[in-house]
Amino acid sequence: MPRISNQIRRLRFDHGEMTQEELAQRAGCTRQTIIALEQGKYVPSIELAFKIAQAFGVSLEEVFQYE
Amino acid sequence: MAPLQKRAWWGLGVGLAFTIAFVLVFFLMGGIESFDTDSNFRLIINVLWIGGLVANLVIMELTLRKPGMVDERDRMIRDRASRAQWLATIFALAAWVAVLNEVYQETGLIPAVYLYVIFMSVLIVSTLAQCLGIAIGYWRANRNA
Repeated sequence: MPRISNQIRRLRFDHGEMTQEELAQRAGCTRQTIIALEQGKYVPSIELAFKIAQAFGVSLEEVFQYE
Repeated sequence: MAPLQKRAWWGLGVGLAFTIAFVLVFFLMGGIESFDTDSNFRLIINVLWIGGLVANLVIMELTLRKPGMVDERDRMIRDRASRAQWLATIFALAAWVAVLNEVYQETGLIPAVYLYVIFMSVLIVSTLAQCLGIAIGYWRANRNA
């Protein structure tokens, strides 16, 4: 698994405690994928990564970090 | 549970029920010998395999068409399961070819009923392998940290 971490959980809470379901709908994926991302069990495609960043209105680097 | 994962478990359940029904009907109605003579037997077998195909189509395709039900992670797991499905199908066909060839080598004639049996068994193996592959795929994806 690539060493890519993310700030999705923190960003959700920073954005008015956005639910996983709400983020999933905004990013066009399932809630299970958001859960897997938050747990570090899945690395998204570039497209989904951009969609998630877009859903939060931040840059890609603010959501995903390569360690 | 992801929608695709739920469908895979449903597919496994329906697939196993279908397999048991097929085996029971086949042997209770007389097996290979009575297939040629009993038109009711042929009708039931035809209903079973067409029903199996329709059930598989509804469970694995039609109910997952709504947008947002299947995403890239689901598709990745489904694509990996397709490889297991393909391998299982090839192995099932190879087993049939080897067994039928051994059994009917001397007569040189294979009863036509085996066309149905081969098709149905491959359909069952393919469906079960796909559903099992998807279920295992989710299990592995959730386990990997």
